[in-house]
Amino acid sequence: MNDERYWNIKLLNKWFAISSVVFMVSMIWMFIDDNDDDFKVYQREFRKMEILKAEEKLDSELEAVKQERVQFEEKLQIARTALDNKQGEIETAQIELDNVSAKFYKANMNFLNAKSIVDAEKYQYETVKIHGHGDELKKAEEYYNGLLEELYELKLKKEDFEGRMLAQDASIKNMQAERKLAEDELNQVLKEVNLVDRKLSKLDRDRMSFANKLGDIVRDLPILDFMAPYYKVEQVVLPDIKYNVNFASVPEVDRCTSCHLGIANPDYVDAEQPFTTHPDLDLYLTSSSPHPYEEFGCTGCHNGRGRGTNFTSATHTPSNADEKKEWEDEYHWHKMHHWLKPMLPTRYSEASCFKCHNDEVQIKGADKLSHGLALVDKYGCNGCHAIQTYPNRRKAGPDLARLNEKVDKEWTAKWIRDPQSFRHNTRMPSFFGQTNNSDEESLKRNETEIATMVEYLFKDGEKFSTRNNRKYMGDAVAGEALFNVVGCKGCHVLEPDPDNLPQVNTLEGMLSKHGPNLIGLGSKTSAEWLYNWLKDPNSFWHETRMPDLRLTDAEAKDITAYLLSFNNAEFEEQDDLEISTEALDEIALGWLKKMYPEKESESRLDAMSYEDKVGYVADKSIRYYGCFGCHNIPGYEKAKPIGTELTVEGSKPVDKLDFGFQHHLDHNNYTWFTEKLKNPRYFDEGKEIPPEDKLRMPNFNLKPEEIEAIVTTILGLNDDKVGESVLASRAVDDPMVYEGRKLIRDYNCKGCHVIDGFGGQIAENYSAPEYAPPNLNTQGAKVQPDWLFKFFKHPMVIRPNLQVRMPSFTLTDEEWNAIIKAFQHWDDNNLSFESEFHVDNSTTEFKAGKKLHELGACNNCHFYGTEFPKQGAQTWAPNLALTKERLHPDWVIEWLRDPQNIMPGTKMPAPFLPDEEILTLPGAESDWGKYVMKMNGDQEAMLEGLRDYVYSIKGKVDITNEIQSYFKQHGYDFESDDEEDEDDEDW
Amino acid sequence: MSYIKSFIDFLSAPTISFTLLTVAFPFIFPPSDYFEKKNRQWGVYKLWTNAGGFWVFVLITLFFIVGYFDPHFNLTMTKPDNIPIILMIYSMYFLTWLGMKKAYANDERLDRGEKPEEWNDPDDKVLVWPDLVYIELIALILFMVALIVWSILIPAPLEEPANPAATPNPSKAPWYFLGLQEMLVYFDPWLAGIVFPMFIIFGMMAIPYMDVNKKGEGYYSFKERRVGYFIFMYGWLVLWVFLIIIGTFFRGPNWNFFGPFEWWDPHKVVPLTNVNLSEYVWVKLLNKGLPVNIIARESVGFVAVIGYLFIMPILLAKTKLKHLYDHYGPVRYATLMLFGLTMFALPIKMYLRWMFNLKYIVAIPEWFFNI
Repeated sequence: MNDERYWNIKLLNKWFAISSVVFMVSMIWMFIDDNDDDFKVYQREFRKMEILKAEEKLDSELEAVKQERVQFEEKLQIARTALDNKQGEIETAQIELDNVSAKFYKANMNFLNAKSIVDAEKYQYETVKIHGHGDELKKAEEYYNGLLEELYELKLKKEDFEGRMLAQDASIKNMQAERKLAEDELNQVLKEVNLVDRKLSKLDRDRMSFANKLGDIVRDLPILDFMAPYYKVEQVVLPDIKYNVNFASVPEVDRCTSCHLGIANPDYVDAEQPFTTHPDLDLYLTSSSPHPYEEFGCTGCHNGRGRGTNFTSATHTPSNADEKKEWEDEYHWHKMHHWLKPMLPTRYSEASCFKCHNDEVQIKGADKLSHGLALVDKYGCNGCHAIQTYPNRRKAGPDLARLNEKVDKEWTAKWIRDPQSFRHNTRMPSFFGQTNNSDEESLKRNETEIATMVEYLFKDGEKFSTRNNRKYMGDAVAGEALFNVVGCKGCHVLEPDPDNLPQVNTLEGMLSKHGPNLIGLGSKTSAEWLYNWLKDPNSFWHETRMPDLRLTDAEAKDITAYLLSFNNAEFEEQDDLEISTEALDEIALGWLKKMYPEKESESRLDAMSYEDKVGYVADKSIRYYGCFGCHNIPGYEKAKPIGTELTVEGSKPVDKLDFGFQHHLDHNNYTWFTEKLKNPRYFDEGKEIPPEDKLRMPNFNLKPEEIEAIVTTILGLNDDKVGESVLASRAVDDPMVYEGRKLIRDYNCKGCHVIDGFGGQIAENYSAPEYAPPNLNTQGAKVQPDWLFKFFKHPMVIRPNLQVRMPSFTLTDEEWNAIIKAFQHWDDNNLSFESEFHVDNSTTEFKAGKKLHELGACNNCHFYGTEFPKQGAQTWAPNLALTKERLHPDWVIEWLRDPQNIMPGTKMPAPFLPDEEILTLPGAESDWGKYVMKMNGDQEAMLEGLRDYVYSIKGKVDITNEIQSYFKQHGYDFESDDEEDEDDEDW
Repeated sequence: MSYIKSFIDFLSAPTISFTLLTVAFPFIFPPSDYFEKKNRQWGVYKLWTNAGGFWVFVLITLFFIVGYFDPHFNLTMTKPDNIPIILMIYSMYFLTWLGMKKAYANDERLDRGEKPEEWNDPDDKVLVWPDLVYIELIALILFMVALIVWSILIPAPLEEPANPAATPNPSKAPWYFLGLQEMLVYFDPWLAGIVFPMFIIFGMMAIPYMDVNKKGEGYYSFKERRVGYFIFMYGWLVLWVFLIIIGTFFRGPNWNFFGPFEWWDPHKVVPLTNVNLSEYVWVKLLNKGLPVNIIARESVGFVAVIGYLFIMPILLAKTKLKHLYDHYGPVRYATLMLFGLTMFALPIKMYLRWMFNLKYIVAIPEWFFNI
């Protein structure tokens, strides 16, 4: 046979055998490779942990019911014994029940049968009734009625058996009732135990029957595991969280919980990763939190590849180099180059809050992002870089239209050259002396650029003069005292030493940094200007956020004298800047060449006069540096901002960011942003570029914390899409609320007031919180909106012993309305119009209230119109005649019930209200009066009575003048009295 | 080592490597007696001996080993997409070596007047089963094993979702089209992407009708059809396989050329100074502006192209290739010339580009017609 064949068949057989075996092995390998997922390893481990936890819980639950269960078990035992005795009876009853049930079954069948026939016949009969006549109709009617009768008989029969069956059943149940009851009771006691026990029996193979154990193994075998495996990918589809695949947005699918198994379970706080509980379950994951897992998943906030089921493919991102090393060693982690949106490093997680909370000012639980957004606003990032989702509300820097009245040319030029040398913590960024323009040539060029820009700003001549200084300066000592208390410190500091600055790298710190650090003003401006500015800031600069504190002329002069007493000698000694004609020509020519051919540029330059050149270079420089991004400069109102648009900067592909020659940097966007903010000219290093093309973003001299906050914000500016239904703005009924909150931020209300649990840093300047601006907790529920509006327009004295003043802000009606809306929203009170509260002074409550009011001696502290309180100024409290117009009646009740709850630290005591017991004491009537007695200890009614009485107090509402003239006469030194009192006590 | 690496980088520049290959090619696959003589004289034929095969195999492997430990080439070489190219290099070399080895053995037998090795008595037949099907089955199984193991060891190279606004740099065609993509550097898309691929397919379909040489049918032989062998191997190995290798390993960001051991710096800038033939003639040579009339402007190019494709074959038929024309007849001769000249247009255009920065011979962007 073999010799007929070309190949040696035996050899081929061997090859076939070998290749088949190899094939088999490769198939097995494939199966193993396919089923050996990381998450299964974790799930196995977690199952063990779950068993341990459940066992612990079972033990503790058993321990907890140890005593209790004995009693119920005994009861059950007795019931069982009793039931056993009735066994014979029950059996007989059961036989009878079976018997009756069988008969019912048959009767019911017959009935249903007949009924279906009747239904069909009914249709026939109806047809005949319409179309038939005479005999036919009569016959049909007879036939139909006959059937109905038959059906009736059958129904009776069926119902008879049914009744007997139910009765029999009930009697059996009755006999067993006692045992059932005992069982239920015991189960109630063992509820938790049974729950854990059932869970354990599903988890722990050792507790399973053999068949179940086998099933538990088989369900996870390859191929068979498509049905109902124990170890499986856990996933959630998030319809509102979109992943952008360029041509479409698809819902995210998160499989993170395949490994992070304990993430939403508070039992695993101490477990190792990946099983650890999420650190903030109140805010995330749980169904009762605002961000339930089913709706937001994990990648909704953390980004990353939700579908990834191993450490690398989920695109975890290490927080730092050490962690990266650790991950590489432990998990063989590597960057997934092609996944454009890797997980955010933990420190930037808050960036994602912006997707849904983009209109909010202070996002609860996202301090870093809120800080970043506030910084973007304060530093005016969006002045040069358009951010459509976070637009620029106002130019960040002052209006320069009337700069020539405020300062002189020398000061301006030096300031532009190095703002920090005048004010160490200024927000004016440094354009010059940076890494790409510190060489000799650039310095010369820049000096000329600055000088020409100054020329432009002073084109109407210097109107600044210190000649009249004396006329506008009062007593500096009095000025200092006033500066410290009248409210300046709500927004300003005056701190020459950079090391002594308050912590300014946080959201809190920003409050006292709202306005500039007022150092060295003596080297900057004139008394005349400062005085006028203090008296009416708005007339100098319409958009200023500096309010009018309604200072008297004398007060303004005192503060002027105080502020001008600070000088900056070093700054004054700096060399003045001068235009170098050489550099001027060079700069002008450089710009000309950008537009015209070489020869033409030169001839154009030749044709320019010196003034033309200065004007030309000034214009080019202002446009190049984009000064108008932050300042209003006449002539540049319509100039386009010069920076890259940042609306979706966080989604910009990394390769679109120019890393220049900084090859050592990690190639990810947050590293680039961080380096850019640290040194905006960093990526110019090593490049050959003409001065007109150099990087020109100025250096904001940011602190590392600030950079991190801003990077978080930029990462939040991305093209991630979310569904309408998860937008936070949906929770707010009126968009004006957001506008109001923004205004509250813009005008730094929180510098003085605690609003929504945050702010009021000014309080540290006062001896006690009650002398500081009030906490505005519950403000929205507290005051009547129309009163509040009036108050905003014309602030008056409410708290008579406060030296700090509510300033007058020049806001539009719309803006005030928005602010009122914002306050109302915080306290769930959305009414714009409210009916007046009328008091019926004939009621018992009112009379009781009057008595309680007398006993409470309210007039010790409160004003009654122009009637002064009995006690001294340190305990003075608001004018009660104002109540009716100002406060909400409902709020007053809450306030009287517990003032400390609403305004922690207030000196207002809760009025003492007698309860029923006190009122039954002998002599109660003489103490409390008959009306209070009638209240029968109903404290709610007493509060209402008291409130009603207060609302009936009449008198002058605005007592500002009376109070002011009192303090003019007596001074504000009661605060020190107070302290002395304390000293006395100590002594 | 770094010196050797930069030398290799230098050698692999397409201008150098392509020229070297083109020059060396006739000595490796000698199409005439002269080259045959040199081939023997210099011992090039030893490539096809066992030892020659072994040493070339060692050289290729050594290159990849060195490359693996080079930080830059490692990145290109270990990319999952590029694994098939490495396998292709080995398989191409092995199959060429095997074919040539067998051809040389047969050539010697034929010289001695013996029958080729593959020759069998026409009555001596083998059965489909088991002689054919059985080994096919075994081969199939082993191939499956290879694919399975490959898929386990090297996961599929999936990338990010396609984004028309952010294309990868370099954007590369699938590996089997990299030859075409390389042609796009020198020709307009309609030529390199449409005409040439069609010519390749039709040309290969036409080969059996043009080459009617009965010799070498059913057995390996080089001498009996050395011109055909040379032309085909040049087209296949140099103009296709080699271009794929260039496209895979040597084309980096912005489709710039990078030697194997160079860093693929996306910022590398290469001067773009290409000039059209019409500009050469009218502007540089005659010192005047380009004629307004498009046909007049491109007349030189048209003359060159028509001359190359149509006039030259006629002249050749009457002179140098008269014997070929006589032997083939007009139809077969014309077909052979059309396909052959189109094929050689590629290296010609490449050299014109490299030597004279020639952009297009005929440049009519107005009509989207550039050659």
